[in-house]
Amino acid sequence: MPSFQITRENLQNGAKLLTLKGFLDAHTYEELENEVNMLFDAKTYKIVFDLSSLDYISSAGAGVFIGAIGTAQENDGNVILMRPSPNVKEVFDLLGLSQIFTFVDSKEAAVKALAD
Amino acid sequence: MGEERHKDKIVVSNNTRFLSDVRNFISKMVGVSHIPSTEVNKVVLAVDEAVTNIMEHAYGVNEEGTIEIEVEVDLRQFRVYVRDSGKSFNPDEIKDVDMREHVKIGSKKGLGIFLMRQIMDEVRYQFKEGISNELLLVKYIPHGAE
Repeated sequence: MPSFQITRENLQNGAKLLTLKGFLDAHTYEELENEVNMLFDAKTYKIVFDLSSLDYISSAGAGVFIGAIGTAQENDGNVILMRPSPNVKEVFDLLGLSQIFTFVDSKEAAVKALAD
Repeated sequence: MGEERHKDKIVVSNNTRFLSDVRNFISKMVGVSHIPSTEVNKVVLAVDEAVTNIMEHAYGVNEEGTIEIEVEVDLRQFRVYVRDSGKSFNPDEIKDVDMREHVKIGSKKGLGIFLMRQIMDEVRYQFKEGISNELLLVKYIPHGAE
Protein backbone atom coordinates (compact mmCIF):
# COMPACT_ATOMS: atom_id res chain seq x y z
CA MET A 1 0.00 0.00 0.00
CA PRO A 2 1.40 3.43 -0.87
CA SER A 3 2.40 5.49 2.15
CA PHE A 4 0.47 8.50 0.88
CA GLN A 5 -2.72 8.79 -1.16
CA ILE A 6 -4.81 11.65 -2.51
CA THR A 7 -8.44 11.41 -3.56
CA ARG A 8 -10.27 14.22 -5.33
CA GLU A 9 -13.84 15.50 -5.20
CA ASN A 10 -15.65 18.50 -6.62
CA LEU A 11 -17.38 20.87 -4.23
CA GLN A 12 -19.78 23.75 -4.87
CA ASN A 13 -18.68 26.88 -6.69
CA GLY A 14 -15.71 25.29 -8.43
CA ALA A 15 -13.93 24.35 -5.23
CA LYS A 16 -11.98 21.10 -4.93
CA LEU A 17 -11.71 18.75 -2.00
CA LEU A 18 -8.50 16.76 -1.69
CA THR A 19 -8.60 13.98 0.88
CA LEU A 20 -5.13 13.04 2.11
CA LYS A 21 -4.35 9.66 3.59
CA GLY A 22 -1.19 8.28 5.19
CA PHE A 23 2.16 9.96 5.72
CA LEU A 24 3.04 13.37 4.30
CA ASP A 25 6.79 13.83 4.64
CA ALA A 26 9.89 14.71 2.60
CA HIS A 27 9.36 11.53 0.58
CA THR A 28 5.73 12.14 -0.38
CA TYR A 29 5.19 15.92 -0.35
CA GLU A 30 6.01 16.34 -4.07
CA GLU A 31 2.97 14.28 -4.99
CA LEU A 32 0.78 16.78 -3.16
CA GLU A 33 2.71 19.75 -4.51
CA ASN A 34 2.18 18.49 -8.08
CA GLU A 35 -1.52 18.01 -7.41
CA VAL A 36 -1.86 21.57 -6.08
CA ASN A 37 0.09 22.97 -9.03
CA MET A 38 -2.24 21.13 -11.43
CA LEU A 39 -5.22 22.76 -9.71
CA PHE A 40 -3.59 26.19 -9.99
CA ASP A 41 -2.83 25.53 -13.68
CA ALA A 42 -6.55 24.81 -14.11
CA LYS A 43 -7.35 28.13 -12.35
CA THR A 44 -8.75 26.36 -9.30
CA TYR A 45 -7.82 28.41 -6.27
CA LYS A 46 -10.45 27.27 -3.75
CA ILE A 47 -9.07 24.12 -2.18
CA VAL A 48 -10.21 22.15 0.85
CA PHE A 49 -7.91 19.52 2.31
CA ASP A 50 -9.54 16.76 4.34
CA LEU A 51 -6.82 15.78 6.82
CA SER A 52 -8.85 13.34 8.91
CA SER A 53 -7.05 10.29 7.46
CA LEU A 54 -3.61 11.88 7.45
CA ASP A 55 -1.55 9.99 10.04
CA TYR A 56 1.56 12.14 10.00
CA ILE A 57 2.93 15.39 8.66
CA SER A 58 6.44 16.86 8.80
CA SER A 59 7.57 20.34 7.82
CA ALA A 60 8.05 19.20 4.22
CA GLY A 61 4.34 18.44 4.09
CA ALA A 62 3.34 21.63 5.91
CA GLY A 63 5.48 23.49 3.38
CA VAL A 64 3.06 22.55 0.61
CA PHE A 65 0.24 24.38 2.39
CA ILE A 66 2.52 27.35 3.12
CA GLY A 67 3.41 27.50 -0.57
CA ALA A 68 -0.21 27.19 -1.68
CA ILE A 69 -2.13 29.63 0.52
CA GLY A 70 -0.49 32.77 -0.85
CA THR A 71 -1.20 31.88 -4.49
CA ALA A 72 -4.75 30.82 -3.61
CA GLN A 73 -5.53 34.05 -1.75
CA GLU A 74 -3.96 36.25 -4.45
CA ASN A 75 -6.46 34.71 -6.86
CA ASP A 76 -9.56 35.20 -4.69
CA GLY A 77 -9.38 31.67 -3.37
CA ASN A 78 -8.21 30.09 -0.17
CA VAL A 79 -6.82 26.94 1.39
CA ILE A 80 -9.09 25.40 4.02
CA LEU A 81 -7.98 22.58 6.29
CA MET A 82 -10.60 20.11 7.50
CA ARG A 83 -10.54 17.80 10.53
CA PRO A 84 -6.83 17.27 11.20
CA SER A 85 -6.00 14.54 13.71
CA PRO A 86 -4.50 15.80 17.01
CA ASN A 87 -0.98 14.77 15.90
CA VAL A 88 -1.27 16.66 12.62
CA LYS A 89 -2.89 19.72 14.21
CA GLU A 90 -0.06 19.77 16.75
CA VAL A 91 2.47 20.29 13.95
CA PHE A 92 0.50 23.26 12.59
CA ASP A 93 0.38 24.62 16.15
CA LEU A 94 4.14 24.16 16.64
CA LEU A 95 4.85 25.97 13.38
CA GLY A 96 2.55 28.85 14.32
CA LEU A 97 0.32 28.09 11.33
CA SER A 98 -2.91 27.58 13.23
CA GLN A 99 -3.53 31.34 13.32
CA ILE A 100 -2.88 31.63 9.60
CA PHE A 101 -4.98 28.78 8.18
CA THR A 102 -8.73 28.29 8.56
CA PHE A 103 -9.68 24.95 10.11
CA VAL A 104 -13.18 23.51 9.76
CA ASP A 105 -15.04 20.39 10.85
CA SER A 106 -17.24 19.68 7.81
CA LYS A 107 -17.54 20.11 4.05
CA GLU A 108 -20.43 22.50 4.61
CA ALA A 109 -18.30 24.67 6.88
CA ALA A 110 -15.48 24.52 4.31
CA VAL A 111 -17.75 25.71 1.51
CA LYS A 112 -19.04 28.48 3.75
CA ALA A 113 -15.49 29.52 4.68
CA LEU A 114 -14.57 29.71 0.99
CA ALA A 115 -17.60 31.92 0.31
CA ASP A 116 -16.74 34.40 3.08
CA MET B 1 15.41 3.57 41.89
CA GLY B 2 17.63 1.50 39.58
CA GLU B 3 19.25 3.14 36.58
CA GLU B 4 17.43 2.06 33.46
CA ARG B 5 19.39 2.42 30.22
CA HIS B 6 18.73 1.50 26.62
CA LYS B 7 20.88 2.07 23.57
CA ASP B 8 20.36 1.15 19.93
CA LYS B 9 21.04 2.52 16.47
CA ILE B 10 19.94 2.36 12.87
CA VAL B 11 21.84 3.24 9.71
CA VAL B 12 19.93 4.36 6.62
CA SER B 13 20.97 5.32 3.11
CA ASN B 14 20.52 8.81 1.76
CA ASN B 15 17.02 8.38 0.39
CA THR B 16 13.83 9.87 1.78
CA ARG B 17 12.04 6.55 1.40
CA PHE B 18 13.92 5.43 4.52
CA LEU B 19 12.38 8.20 6.66
CA SER B 20 9.59 5.79 7.65
CA ASP B 21 12.24 3.35 8.97
CA VAL B 22 13.76 6.17 11.02
CA ARG B 23 10.35 7.08 12.45
CA ASN B 24 9.59 3.46 13.31
CA PHE B 25 12.96 3.12 15.05
CA ILE B 26 12.44 6.30 17.09
CA SER B 27 8.90 5.20 18.00
CA LYS B 28 10.30 1.90 19.24
CA MET B 29 12.95 3.63 21.34
CA VAL B 30 10.44 6.14 22.72
CA GLY B 31 8.39 3.10 23.70
CA VAL B 32 11.14 1.85 26.04
CA SER B 33 11.62 5.33 27.52
CA HIS B 34 9.53 7.24 30.04
CA ILE B 35 8.71 10.06 27.64
CA PRO B 36 5.08 11.08 28.23
CA SER B 37 2.73 9.82 25.51
CA THR B 38 1.83 13.41 24.62
CA GLU B 39 5.43 13.97 23.45
CA VAL B 40 5.90 10.86 21.31
CA ASN B 41 4.74 12.31 17.97
CA LYS B 42 6.85 15.41 18.53
CA VAL B 43 10.08 13.55 19.30
CA VAL B 44 9.59 11.34 16.22
CA LEU B 45 8.98 14.49 14.19
CA ALA B 46 12.13 16.23 15.49
CA VAL B 47 14.32 13.30 14.41
CA ASP B 48 12.55 13.06 11.05
CA GLU B 49 13.35 16.75 10.53
CA ALA B 50 17.01 16.24 11.46
CA VAL B 51 17.42 13.33 9.03
CA THR B 52 15.47 15.13 6.29
CA ASN B 53 17.79 18.14 6.62
CA ILE B 54 20.81 15.89 6.14
CA MET B 55 19.23 14.28 3.08
CA GLU B 56 18.38 17.65 1.60
CA HIS B 57 21.41 19.73 2.60
CA ALA B 58 24.40 17.67 3.77
CA TYR B 59 23.99 15.20 0.90
CA GLY B 60 22.66 16.06 -2.52
CA VAL B 61 19.72 14.28 -4.11
CA ASN B 62 20.82 10.84 -5.34
CA GLU B 63 24.23 11.28 -3.69
CA GLU B 64 25.44 8.12 -2.02
CA GLY B 65 25.78 8.36 1.71
CA THR B 66 24.55 6.99 4.98
CA ILE B 67 23.06 8.45 8.12
CA GLU B 68 23.45 6.83 11.52
CA ILE B 69 20.84 7.49 14.18
CA GLU B 70 21.82 6.34 17.66
CA VAL B 71 19.53 6.64 20.66
CA GLU B 72 20.54 6.52 24.31
CA VAL B 73 17.78 6.45 26.86
CA ASP B 74 17.89 6.65 30.62
CA LEU B 75 15.42 7.81 33.23
CA ARG B 76 16.27 11.46 32.72
CA GLN B 77 17.04 11.94 29.04
CA PHE B 78 16.24 10.71 25.55
CA ARG B 79 19.36 11.43 23.50
CA VAL B 80 19.53 11.07 19.74
CA TYR B 81 22.84 11.31 17.87
CA VAL B 82 22.43 11.84 14.14
CA ARG B 83 25.69 11.34 12.23
CA ASP B 84 26.54 11.80 8.58
CA SER B 85 29.56 12.40 6.39
CA GLY B 86 28.02 14.95 4.03
CA LYS B 87 28.65 18.68 3.82
CA SER B 88 28.91 20.42 7.19
CA PHE B 89 25.63 21.95 8.20
CA ASN B 90 25.34 23.93 11.40
CA PRO B 91 21.74 24.55 12.47
CA ASP B 92 22.96 27.32 14.80
CA GLU B 93 23.51 29.42 11.68
CA ILE B 94 19.82 29.19 10.78
CA LYS B 95 17.64 31.90 12.32
CA ASP B 96 14.18 31.21 13.67
CA VAL B 97 11.46 31.73 11.13
CA ASP B 98 8.92 34.54 11.00
CA MET B 99 5.97 32.40 9.96
CA ARG B 100 3.75 35.21 8.67
CA GLU B 101 6.61 36.37 6.43
CA HIS B 102 7.23 32.78 5.32
CA VAL B 103 3.60 32.34 4.36
CA LYS B 104 3.56 35.71 2.57
CA ILE B 105 6.43 34.71 0.28
CA GLY B 106 5.67 30.97 0.26
CA SER B 107 9.04 30.10 1.80
CA LYS B 108 9.66 26.73 3.40
CA LYS B 109 13.22 27.36 4.55
CA GLY B 110 14.25 26.65 8.11
CA LEU B 111 11.01 24.97 9.17
CA GLY B 112 12.73 21.72 10.19
CA ILE B 113 15.29 23.45 12.41
CA PHE B 114 12.54 25.59 13.89
CA LEU B 115 10.56 22.45 14.81
CA MET B 116 13.62 20.71 16.28
CA ARG B 117 14.23 23.73 18.53
CA GLN B 118 10.58 23.91 19.52
CA ILE B 119 10.41 20.24 20.45
CA MET B 120 13.78 19.25 21.89
CA ASP B 121 15.44 20.67 25.00
CA GLU B 122 18.89 20.65 23.42
CA VAL B 123 19.97 20.79 19.77
CA ARG B 124 23.75 20.66 19.50
CA TYR B 125 25.95 20.32 16.46
CA GLN B 126 29.54 19.10 16.38
CA PHE B 127 32.02 18.51 13.62
CA LYS B 128 33.76 15.24 14.46
CA GLU B 129 36.94 13.98 12.88
CA GLY B 130 36.21 10.83 10.88
CA ILE B 131 32.42 11.20 11.06
CA SER B 132 32.04 14.74 9.74
CA ASN B 133 28.77 15.86 11.31
CA GLU B 134 27.10 14.90 14.54
CA LEU B 135 23.84 16.46 15.67
CA LEU B 136 22.71 15.74 19.21
CA LEU B 137 19.05 16.11 20.07
CA VAL B 138 18.08 15.79 23.73
CA LYS B 139 14.65 15.56 25.30
CA TYR B 140 14.52 15.78 29.07
CA ILE B 141 12.18 13.29 30.70
CA PRO B 142 10.15 14.84 33.50
CA HIS B 143 10.86 13.28 36.89
CA GLY B 144 8.12 10.84 37.76
CA ALA B 145 6.86 10.54 34.15
CA GLU B 146 5.12 7.28 33.30
